[in-house]
Amino acid sequence: MSITVLGISAQYHDSAAALVRDGVVIAAASEERFSRLKHDASIPVRATRWCLEHAGITMDDVDHVVFYEKPLKKFERLMVNQLLHFPKSFKAFQRSSMIWLTDKLWVRNNLVKQLGVHPDKLLWSEHHLSHAASVFYGSPHSEAAILTVDGVGEWASTGLWRGDADGITPLLEVTFPHSIGLVYSAFTAFLGFRVNNGEYKVMGMAAYGDPVFKDDVLKVLWPCEDGSFEVDTQYLCYHYSATDSYTKAFEKLFGVPRFPGTDFDPTTPEGKRYADIAASIQSVAEDCLVALATRIHKETGLDHLCMAGGVALNSVANTAILKRSPFKTLSVHPAAGDAGGAVGAALWVWNDVLDQARSAPLTTPGLGRAWSHAEVSELLEDLKVAHTDLGEDVCSAAADDIASGKVIGWFQGGFEWGPRALGHRSILANPRDPDMQDRVNEKVKFRERFRPFAPSVQAGAEERYFEIPDGSDQPVRWMLMVVPVREDQKAAMPAITHIDGTARIHVVEEEANPRYHRLLGELGEKTGHPIVLNTSFNLKGEPIVSSPTSALATFMRCGIDVLYIDSFRIDKANMRGLDRVADTSAMADL
Amino acid sequence: MILERRDWLLWAISSVVWRMPGRGSIKMAGFSHTEAGSGLDMLAATEETTRRDMRAKYFRHALDELKHARLFKKRALALAPQEMSRAQAMLEDSNFIREHGINASESLFSRLGELEFLAFVWIAEQRGAQQFDVYTDLMKDDPDSCAMFAEIAGDERFHIAYSRAELDRYTEAGQAKEVKEAVGRVKRRRFLEAWLRFSVVLGDFMSKLWLGILYILVLGPSSIFARLTEKQPKGFVMPVIPDGDILERAQFQG
Repeated sequence: MSITVLGISAQYHDSAAALVRDGVVIAAASEERFSRLKHDASIPVRATRWCLEHAGITMDDVDHVVFYEKPLKKFERLMVNQLLHFPKSFKAFQRSSMIWLTDKLWVRNNLVKQLGVHPDKLLWSEHHLSHAASVFYGSPHSEAAILTVDGVGEWASTGLWRGDADGITPLLEVTFPHSIGLVYSAFTAFLGFRVNNGEYKVMGMAAYGDPVFKDDVLKVLWPCEDGSFEVDTQYLCYHYSATDSYTKAFEKLFGVPRFPGTDFDPTTPEGKRYADIAASIQSVAEDCLVALATRIHKETGLDHLCMAGGVALNSVANTAILKRSPFKTLSVHPAAGDAGGAVGAALWVWNDVLDQARSAPLTTPGLGRAWSHAEVSELLEDLKVAHTDLGEDVCSAAADDIASGKVIGWFQGGFEWGPRALGHRSILANPRDPDMQDRVNEKVKFRERFRPFAPSVQAGAEERYFEIPDGSDQPVRWMLMVVPVREDQKAAMPAITHIDGTARIHVVEEEANPRYHRLLGELGEKTGHPIVLNTSFNLKGEPIVSSPTSALATFMRCGIDVLYIDSFRIDKANMRGLDRVADTSAMADL
Repeated sequence: MILERRDWLLWAISSVVWRMPGRGSIKMAGFSHTEAGSGLDMLAATEETTRRDMRAKYFRHALDELKHARLFKKRALALAPQEMSRAQAMLEDSNFIREHGINASESLFSRLGELEFLAFVWIAEQRGAQQFDVYTDLMKDDPDSCAMFAEIAGDERFHIAYSRAELDRYTEAGQAKEVKEAVGRVKRRRFLEAWLRFSVVLGDFMSKLWLGILYILVLGPSSIFARLTEKQPKGFVMPVIPDGDILERAQFQG
């Protein structure tokens, strides 16, 4: 008889639900894909509903429901910190008490009421344990060292673990307020980006700078001899403030913060200063992570490192860890942030609590909802959208469009698990076009010009374009590593080569995404290059599209030329009736 | 323009509020979220309706609302002074949309059903058009905002017309009573929601007051003991694994 475990993450940011049946992740989705609210933190009612529908079961058929962390421990940490920082914590106390006393403390009741869970079925994992399980049990390794690094869970901000046949064993941890993730977020806020949202923009900005402020950053966060790290809290206030993350002392050290939304121009002295600060925190964060990885290697003596937690989405740091630490391979969970806790918690219950046979590794990111050919066809008919059903020729036609310089929307199969678009909900374009980066940034995504685009390359061809370190098979499948573009390819691939000559690479295996793999093959045949610029199918500030309707709504509001949904081709040039509202010209103003 | 009685109240309040420094920008940001939320409601209706003839109308309406959200956002940013970060923060915080009516667990369409949803659209769009008329009147010295409100008003005429036409179709099909009841329910709910919003504001104020008193009277003295006893560790610590088998530990929230 099957055993089904439902994992839930919620209440902070990026809530999600994941369903594990007999050790296999059969469905996983973030709530934001259904609610269309970016980083939606509410109880994932719609995601859960879909997971159950997908499995053809009801909540009564679920054996265990596991929440990804222990809320009472988290509340304890909040209260202790507010006590310790009286009276500076006044506003944080008011705000967090109102949220916790009216909502978060009652997560058990909320899960029972909103999801219809029987209370006896509820289990509670721990925040970093869920992260650890998400990556270890999703990896192909039978034993591995595990490093989890994020802002903060209950108390821990960093966890060192060992995973083997006996399960996941905690070795060491670093606790709040010492946190690489929260210090990185403080710099994110200082550099004018939104915390828990703009950290990857800091990573992109860092490439324009030099780490000349490293000594100053080391006053805020520094690696210790034993491989751990510390922070100096005089520069930070995330431990007692509800709204701010750095203090006046921090501003004294680094100068005037960047105003949100202002243009970033690295050729100006001010722009260069911000880029240098970004490069400096990136460099220190990498040093801390390499020190942690080196320590856990010493503790375990194992060759394989698994990483999860929000900091593991820092794909530049992932490359540094693999290059500079003694580990031979690196695995990162595709949804390394809090959403991934849903999968991790469910896998932990299956493997460790229920002590069942080791779960199967993750092979595809397309764990979200899919729409059938008939459903899409009916929608297009109903909306009176002119379209062509290309059948099996869809990849060939898409390759022709990309080769001819068009920007296409690519909507295929179930949506991705995790924050990266991996060829299920992607915007694709020709990476060899020198104007393409600016065009996609300004006319399609309406985002900052400095931000780079990633390439997807057909498995087997990656070495032709990139210098890929050994042992990076897993992270490059999930677009979680930044690698150097080969010297002879930099000029040929301007749209995906970042200012520092690197690219955040996505290697596409056939088993992970057959149709996308075929598209790249067609491109290879037509152009000689099985590689494409791949960016997420969304507009600035919106979640990645999920349904055909949301894809069409996005298509109508930006400069994508052609949309492919399943085997249907929709050319904007042929759109009628809806063109009145398809006003993309003014979007660039925002 | 002849204003209805209740619009004089709106006009009087708005004429004060819109003149407060930075307030116009915050109002525009709030409208942007409201329109974005409506856009999401209409997209959900496009997906969930069983009436295939309604899908194109809902979809076009959704695109209109998303366009309005963008127009309001643009005006909010244009009106915001450099130091005014609240409007900026509102525009960046998607969870703020929830405060404007998005219910994450279920779409508005699912909750109301087709007929009541159409009644809701008809009433909400009428009210929106009335409000924007007042704002256009108030913002005569701001031609950009006036032009924006005029453009939006044009779209809203379409929304009012198609939703009314659909309600009339239900009436002609012998469902006059159901239409009347749906319109009545929507009107009552709007009144109730206005009251709830006021209650939330009042509740928030009272809660903050009591929590402030609690903070000073209880946390103040307790913080002295906390500082004496609590030592926050630096560097690595050994994780504490509580007693009991793994299943027992998993059944505990703390």
